[in-house]
Formats: sequence, C-alpha cells, structure tokens
Amino acid sequence: MIYTRELTDLPLDYDDQEDQLIRTGKSLPSFSRLLRDMFRMRRESTEVIIAVMITAVAGTLYPLSLGYAINSVIRRDYTGLYLFASGFFLLYVVQFFSNWLRTVSSTKLAQSTIKSLRDRSFQNLQHVPVSFFSKVKTGYLISRITNDAETLSEFLTFQLPQVVSGITTVLVSISIMFYKDFSLTLYALIVIPVLAGFTFSIQGRVRLNYLKTRKTIAAITGNLSENINAVRTIKAFNVEQRIQGNFNELNVKNFEANMKASKLSSLYGTVIRIIESLGIAVVIIAGSMQLQSGVTTVGILVAFVIYVQEFFDPVVQLSQLYNSYQSAMVGVSRIYGIIDSPVETMPGGTGRKREFRDSIELSDVSFSYGTDQALNGIGIRIARGEKVGIVGHTGAGKTTLSNLILKFYSPTNGSVTLDGVSMDEINTEDYRKLIAPVLQDPFMFRGTVYENIRFADSTVSRETVDDMARKFGLSEIFAGLPDGLNTNVGEMGRNLSEGQRQAISILRAFVRNPEILILDEPTSQIDPDSEKLIIASLREYLKDKTLILITHRFSMISLVNRIVVLQEGGLVEDGTFGELLDRKGIFSELYRIQYGPVDRYPI
Amino acid sequence: MKDRVKLRLERIIGVMGPLLFSLAFLDKRKKYLWIVISAGFISMVSRMFVPLLIGDAVGSLQKLQYSSVEHFALLIVLASAVSGAMQFIVNYGAQYLSQVYSYNLRNDVFGHILRKNVGFYENQTSGDLLSRTTMDIEATRNYILTTLAQLIPTIFMIGFSFVALLILKVEFAAIFTLTVPVLILVGLIFQQKQRTHWRHIRIYYGLMNEHLQENIVGNRVVRGFSAEKQEIDKFSETTEQFFQENMGIGRLRGKYNNMMPLIVGAAATIVLLYGGFVSIINGSNIGPLVSAVNIFSIISFPVSFLGRMIVFSENSKASIMRINEIRTLEKEEELSALPEIYPNGDLSFRDVSFRRGDREILRNISFEIRVGEFVGLTGRTAAGKSTLVNLIPGFSKPSSGMILIGDKQLNAFPLSSLRKAVAIVPQEITLLSGTVRDNIAFGNMNADDDEIKQSAAIARISDFIESLPLKYNTVIGERGITLSGGQRQRVAIARAILTKPGYLILDDATSSVDPETELEIFRNIKKEMTHTTVILVSHRESALKFADRVLKLTDGQISAVPDFKKAEEELSTRPEHHDIHAGVDRFATGL
Repeated sequence: MIYTRELTDLPLDYDDQEDQLIRTGKSLPSFSRLLRDMFRMRRESTEVIIAVMITAVAGTLYPLSLGYAINSVIRRDYTGLYLFASGFFLLYVVQFFSNWLRTVSSTKLAQSTIKSLRDRSFQNLQHVPVSFFSKVKTGYLISRITNDAETLSEFLTFQLPQVVSGITTVLVSISIMFYKDFSLTLYALIVIPVLAGFTFSIQGRVRLNYLKTRKTIAAITGNLSENINAVRTIKAFNVEQRIQGNFNELNVKNFEANMKASKLSSLYGTVIRIIESLGIAVVIIAGSMQLQSGVTTVGILVAFVIYVQEFFDPVVQLSQLYNSYQSAMVGVSRIYGIIDSPVETMPGGTGRKREFRDSIELSDVSFSYGTDQALNGIGIRIARGEKVGIVGHTGAGKTTLSNLILKFYSPTNGSVTLDGVSMDEINTEDYRKLIAPVLQDPFMFRGTVYENIRFADSTVSRETVDDMARKFGLSEIFAGLPDGLNTNVGEMGRNLSEGQRQAISILRAFVRNPEILILDEPTSQIDPDSEKLIIASLREYLKDKTLILITHRFSMISLVNRIVVLQEGGLVEDGTFGELLDRKGIFSELYRIQYGPVDRYPI
Repeated sequence: MKDRVKLRLERIIGVMGPLLFSLAFLDKRKKYLWIVISAGFISMVSRMFVPLLIGDAVGSLQKLQYSSVEHFALLIVLASAVSGAMQFIVNYGAQYLSQVYSYNLRNDVFGHILRKNVGFYENQTSGDLLSRTTMDIEATRNYILTTLAQLIPTIFMIGFSFVALLILKVEFAAIFTLTVPVLILVGLIFQQKQRTHWRHIRIYYGLMNEHLQENIVGNRVVRGFSAEKQEIDKFSETTEQFFQENMGIGRLRGKYNNMMPLIVGAAATIVLLYGGFVSIINGSNIGPLVSAVNIFSIISFPVSFLGRMIVFSENSKASIMRINEIRTLEKEEELSALPEIYPNGDLSFRDVSFRRGDREILRNISFEIRVGEFVGLTGRTAAGKSTLVNLIPGFSKPSSGMILIGDKQLNAFPLSSLRKAVAIVPQEITLLSGTVRDNIAFGNMNADDDEIKQSAAIARISDFIESLPLKYNTVIGERGITLSGGQRQRVAIARAILTKPGYLILDDATSSVDPETELEIFRNIKKEMTHTTVILVSHRESALKFADRVLKLTDGQISAVPDFKKAEEELSTRPEHHDIHAGVDRFATGL
C-alpha cells in the first residue's frame, strides 16, 4: 500500500503523481482496496458474480445448442431440432433474467460504493486540519469527489462485470471446445498468441498517448477556468487577443494528441478484425479436413466458428477497457488520498465543557506555518468579561492568534488553556458553542440572508434575527435588497455587497449569544455611519461577554479596555489605551499614522 | 395520440441533430464526412459477406464439396480485410472530424466568452460557464464521434441484414421486419421512463457540487460554528437521493435493456425452427439457415445500441442548447469597430443615471474631473461607488445622460482605446498563474525590466519581490507561492501603473494594505504620475486624506465634501493626547 500512503501527502504535486500512476501502470493497490470496499456488500457482490457467471455460461452454451439443432436438421430429426431449438431459446430466457439481476445488483453495488466514497471523503474533509485547505485547491477537491467518483460509475456498473463475464466466457468456451473436439480447438486457438502479442506490444504506447490527451485537456480546462475567473482583468487590460491566442495553442496541442492516440486505436481495431477472420478461416479449413476424416460434424464446426467470433468480443472489449480502468484507478486513488488525509491532530478530548468561568490563557505559545514563524512565545491571560483588542501591522500574527484561540490550529509550542484545562482535552464541539467568531472573510452559503444568519442554529426565529439586525443598526444595510432578508444571496453571496456580507457574518455570530466573541476586522467594509451604530449597540450587548477584537484600524477600539500589540509574531505591548499612547511605542505610532494629518508625510 | 407518434418520430430522427449542428464547425473539411460515410457503407457490405460466406462454406461441407471450402475461407479473410481497412477509415475519420469540431467550437465559444460584457458575468456562475465549455462540448463531441463511427454504420448494417435475409429467404426477412419495430418500441418506452431520473440526476449532481464548494471554501465558518455534523448529514442526504435516482435507472435498464437481446433471440429461434423444418421437409441446403441465424446474432448488439443512442442524443441536444446560449450575440461588446482614438482630456459626467432592474442606483449625476487631478470618491456601503466607476472603462453603459472625455462622448471611442487609457483596480484581485513579472506585465507585454521595477516600486511591492529567492521570476498561484491579500493588491496596482494609463481608478484597491504602506503608495502615485487623473474610491478617511478633493455619493446623488480641507486642518491641530472616545466618534461620523 505504499502508493496510497504517498497520496495522502496531497499537497505534493498531484499532477506528477497522476503521471506516474499512468506511466507505470501501478494501480493495483488502489484497485484491490476498491474491490475490498465493494466486497463488503456481500449480498450484492455475490449476486453480481453469480449472475455474471450464469450469463456467461448460458452464452457459451448457445452455439453448442445451435450446432446440435443444425446436426438434427442434417439428420432430418424433427424431435432433435425442436428440442435443441427450444434449448437455444431457453438460454436466451435464462440470460434475460440473469442479466436483469446482474444489472440491478451491479448498479446497486457500484452506486453504494460511490456514495460511500463520497460520504467518507466529505466526512474526512470536516475533520482535516484547517491548514489542509490552504494547501489543496478547492477545485481539485470538488472534482475528485464529484467527477472522479462519477467516472467510477461506468467502470463499476458495466466494465468490471464485463471483465468477469469475459473471462468466464473465454474459459467456459475453451473447455467446451476441448471437450468436443480437441484438435479442432487447437486450430481455433492458433490466433490467440498473435492477438495477445499484438495487444501487449502496443499497450505501453496506448498508455502514453492516453496520458498526453489527458494532460492536454486538463491544460485547456485549467486555462479556461482561470480566464473565466479573470475575465474582468482581461477586459480591463484589453488583452483579449493575446488570451485567445494562448488558448488556441493549447487547443491545437489537444487536437494533435488526440489524433495521435486515435491513429493507434483505429489501427488496433482493424488488426483485431483481420486476426479474427484468420481464426475463422483456419477453423473452416481445419474443420473441413476433420469432416473428411469423419472426426467431427457440421454442427460442431458451426459452433466452433461462432465460438471464435464470440471470444474475440471479450478480448476486444478488455483491451478497450484498459483506458477506462486507468482513468478509474487514477480517480479512485485520488479519492482514497482524500479519505486518508490525516485528521486534526487535536480532535478534541472527551472533556465536557459547557461553561466559561474564569479565563483563557496562552502560555509561551509559538506557532509556525511550515518554516515561517508566525507567533513566538506569546503569553496572555484573558479573564472572563474582559474586552481585549489585538493590534498590529498586517502580518504581525493577529489572525494566527485568533486561529489558535478558535482551535483551528494547535500551537507548535506552549499551550492554550480554558479555565486551566488544556484545549487538547476539551471537546471541540462543546468549546465552539461557547465561542463565536466573525471572520475576516465573510463567507456566504447558498440560500437567503435569513438562512445565512441562522446558519448554525435553525431554531433561531426570524423575529430574533429582525430584532438583532435592527438593534445593531444593520437593517438599513439590507434595505436595498429586493426581498429584504428573504433575498437569495447567490453563489458565494454574489448578490450582496461586501458590506452586506460582513453584516451577515456579524449577525451570524451574535444570534448565537456566545460567551466569547472573536471579531477579526469585522467592519472593514462597513461605512462609518453604520459602523457607529454597531459600536453603540455592541456596548450593551457585550456587557457580560468576553471580547477579543482584532484590528489594525482604530474605529472600534473604544469597545476594549485592554490592548495587546503584536509585532512580527511577538507580544510587544500590553496595557490600556492611555498607557500605550504614553509609552510612545508601536501603538502610538500606528495611532498617529491613522489620525495624524497628511502634511506630516511630505510629498 | 397522433402528436405522440409524431413526437416519437421526431426523437428518432433527432438522433442526427448533433451531427447537423457540427457541420458549421467542420469548415472546409466537410468533404471528409462523405468519405467516412462511404467507408462505413463499404465496411458494412463486406462485413455482411462474412456470415453469408460462412453459410456457404457450411453448405458446401454438407454437400461434401470439400475443395470449395478453401475458396470460401479465402473470401472470408478477404471480406474481413476490406471491412477492417474501411473500419480504419471510419474510426480515424470520425475521430478526426469530431476533434475538428471540438477544436473549432471551443475557440468559437471562448471568443464569445471574451466578448461578453461585464453585465453578462453578473448573472453567471463560473462553474456553469466552465462546464458548458468543457463538459458540454466534450459530450457533444463524443456523440458526434459515436454517430459517425457507430450509429451510421449500424443503420447500414441493419439495412444490409434485411437485404441479405431477403436474398436468403423471404420469410427470414419478414421475421426480421417484425422484430425491428418491436425493438424500437422497447427502446422508446425505456427512454421515456428514464427521462425524469436523468433530469433529477443532473440536479442532484449540481447540488452536490455546490454543497462541496461552499463547505470547502467556508470550512472555517463550518468549524467555527461547529456545524460539521449538520453538514455531513446534508451531504449524505444529497448523495442518497443521487443514489436512489441511479437505482431507478438501474432497475429500468435491467428490465428493458436486456429485453432487446431476448426479442432477437426469439426471432432467431423462430428462424431456426422454421428454416430447420423446411430444410428437413424439402431436403434443402442448410447454408442459408446458418447464415440467417448468424446474422441475427450479429445484429442483436447494434439494435440495442440504437435504443441507447436515443437517450444519448437527448443529452447531447441539451448540451448543444447550453452551448448555444453562450454563442448568442447577446451582451457582447465590439472592441475595435471604431477607428482608434486615444481618449484625452477632462472627464465629465452629465446627468448620468444608472438603473439595475427597477432600482435606480445613480440619479442624474454630474461632475467634472480635470486632467491630473487626484479625486476621492466616498459613500456608504452599497451606495453605488463601484457602479459609478465601472461606467468609465465602459464595463456598463449609463441608462441615461452622457460621460465625456475631453469633448467626446465615451461611445465615440472604441472600447479597446478606452480601456488602454483607463486602468481600473478593483478590490477583489485576480492574478493569473505565472511569474510575478508575467503578472505585472499582463497589460503591457512590451515593458522592459526597468519599467516593471519602477511600477513595482511605486506600488510599494518591489522590496517584497526583491526579497523572494527568484525575485521577479517567482511563480505565483497554484504551483508557486501564495501572496497575502495586501501583496496581491499591490501587484495589481503595479500591473495597472505599468500600462501608463491616462486615468487610474483605485476602487478600494488598498483595503488589505496596512495604512502606512497605503499612504506611501498614494504619495508615490501623486509624485510619479503627475499627468494621470486618479479616482480613489474608499470610505476610509486615512486614504481620502490624499485626495485633492472628495466627492460623496449619497442616495444615488453626488455631492462635494465642502469642509474636506477644513477637516484636514482641524485634524492637524488636534493634540496628540486626547480622549479615546472623542477620536472614535470623530472617526465614526465619517466625512
């Protein structure tokens, strides 16, 4: 299982990985894991196997019954003809029922497997560390879980059973042939090595061609997706022609790769047909010699001709299946990659914690994203009811600090404790009921403004939402919306302005009525008039709550009674507003830039 | 009833629809179409000879004419060789034509996408556009490939089977004639019954996509509000419905799809019994009987394939409709229809109004900005500031009134010239994959290194770039380094500056840059770009301090901020030490 383990390091170059998988054809580990997953549904998998085998055996018996029927005609035996023709039809009936069963149970098997792969990857995504999402692109994850899983559908429902049936057909028909006429069978099988050799010799090139077509189409999709998202920029800079030219280049490459692949596969089809006809010719000539020496009958000869035709079908199908097997395996290993991604190192202990009594404390906390040290030996104790502002330049580590308090990340060094209990021991879900964040990027889900505000708790009534909005002076922001709070926010909230999104994000946290509020630049997009209203009503709302306010602007600073200043990941100042201004350190400098007049910065 | 028959007939004929659609994209290569179709014809004729020859061979064996057997064997190989060679032309040619089709169509659709105006994108999701230009085109290409490589040959084959059977024995042909309509009927019923399932599958698939998208992008909100369980349940509900719909199709498929070979089998049995009895009675040769049964077994697969093609064709026609929705000329802009004139002069708005739907966003706005001025534009959230500035590069057109540059109205300039003169930097930045240099030079590929470095210096991003190991050759984006919001905004400002615009619009373009750096950027712009007219959109006082004057947008109308400079002076005399609440309140009242 070396391969799947490698795949768990998703942020690695997954394109190259895919490359390697196709180039080397080493997809067996993922395949056997997929089979194990499928066989867990015992009933369905047994049904599929039995049904496929019945179908295949019935299929191999019918040339024989046809042969006997024809022998009866030659012998002028009415009963024989009637008997064997009925047998001939009966086999079709048997096949009808066994195929019916096969189709239904293989659909069930395939679709349940796909559903379970999707559900499992989704579930794991809820528990991977937040940092995972900064390493892996959203589009990549989505297309794995939707597209890749979907390519499995065709493979699992039709093609995999086809393999089983193909192998069964070949084995059963060869056995029957040997049983009926040993030497004629040897003649009939003469072409098999030719066929196998030919198929095998071109497989490597087929794989490379396939890889090339895949890569060129991926390049087109990537280019399109980027350009569609950047369309405003393209227009603003008036570079449509250049962009169209670049696109055309990729398009040409894809065309050429496809034509190259097609030449080989078309040739393959032709050669297979010719080998098949050679096989038939050999059987007829050898059969006529056997007939002359009286070893065999005309009926058996007819049956043999049909057998040769029949087992070419599975062989042709199997070779065509190779590409879809490859792409299904690439897909499934990537899905397993998501399922196997390690979950949060601190899944939250079992410690139940339903109230906040005393304080949150960070002692000697350090944190690094990879090699970048974001926080360095931070120590802060925030008492219940305290209102703390965290201030500093962009990149000083303010948001990282709030991520640690929100338990999105765990510190590389040091500890975060709540009422003296380490975060690692506290149940994450419990903890997050005590705390509510207003994040820097207000995120919108599909649905109405109401639904977005009540996102985490659908028991909140509309009236509560209306009241809250009014109380915080946010009703007016939504006044321009066509259906008020019932307006659909659109994909990612695109029907709303940045300020409206921020207002929703604020209300979403406030309706939860949490013990601790973390506000990360909550009003950067809200105009000063509205902001003033929010600040005024916040004072009342925050009375018994603990506030952690992150900002590099000072409009809301009057809400806090203590300010902590961060600089390059370290805590440099801590005190009240007045104390810090007196100190003439970083804080007073920051304050001066924003409130100082323009002429201090000579042009 | 008559209508239903007509509808069904239309659906049967409609399987050729996508091929007809493709003609427009095959340009002068349409002639190859005839070669492919003729090759398909010859391939099928020669293939039909194989069962006939097998029958003849068996027949002569029955008559103990062993010498002629070799002759038949040779003919079988020959017929297969011809059929195979023709099959090569069919497969390769079909692939070629389908690739020409998708190549041309993709370029065409992409051209349309680039010509669409900004208004078009307001109601479009990028995922949907992407799936139309990739999946829908691929789906129709695949269908056209199948039409040429399989459907048309199959139709020939069914025709020839009938002819062959007719030659063998009229009764065999009659049995065949009865079978085909039954098969088509089964195919149609099947297709009719599964249609709703397919529609639902597409809906649930879309839902699944959307849900994933927001769950992943909004993962911090999901976690922050501990809504993981709720999300898992919701997702599982969608996949369950998806599963159920697929099972619905699976059950239908199990019954109807497998009924087709059964019908063929029944027909083959009748042929066998009838032919056999006749043969026994009049002692005739069994060759024709063997041929006939063989023909039936050969066509059983192609016939059930026809039924599937009907479903397939409907999906493909739906794809064509979606593609064509982009290909309409609606909401497209003509970039360079007019002779090139470079806009130059004062910018003035005269009685400009703008409405979106029923909402009037801008009402009779008039103002003038002189060349080289640095003007601030402020107003409440959603007051229409962005709407206003987007009128200047012609992203949207005013509902009434006119906008002039110098003494010419905006629509007197070709859009390409206008957009060369006007550079707009929005708040949300899109950078493209490539190096830092590629991104800065995006709008001006001819710029040399010094110019690029100078723009970066003005935008206060050069120090950061120089600190990177590969400097300007550092790759950004998916396969390279990730830039912070402020860094992205500064790269975007450098990108705009490099085009040497006559008019530079900064639409909240420094919202993620810290105030210190922000001030330096504005100072640099003012110093280095003296001939450029600058419009600075912001609601932040620290930013607006730099403007020569400030306009305020309230309720769709514009007003100057009269006491702007006075406010400035007040600020400068303010003591360093003062009451915090006073400072906050002063700030919060806005301008």
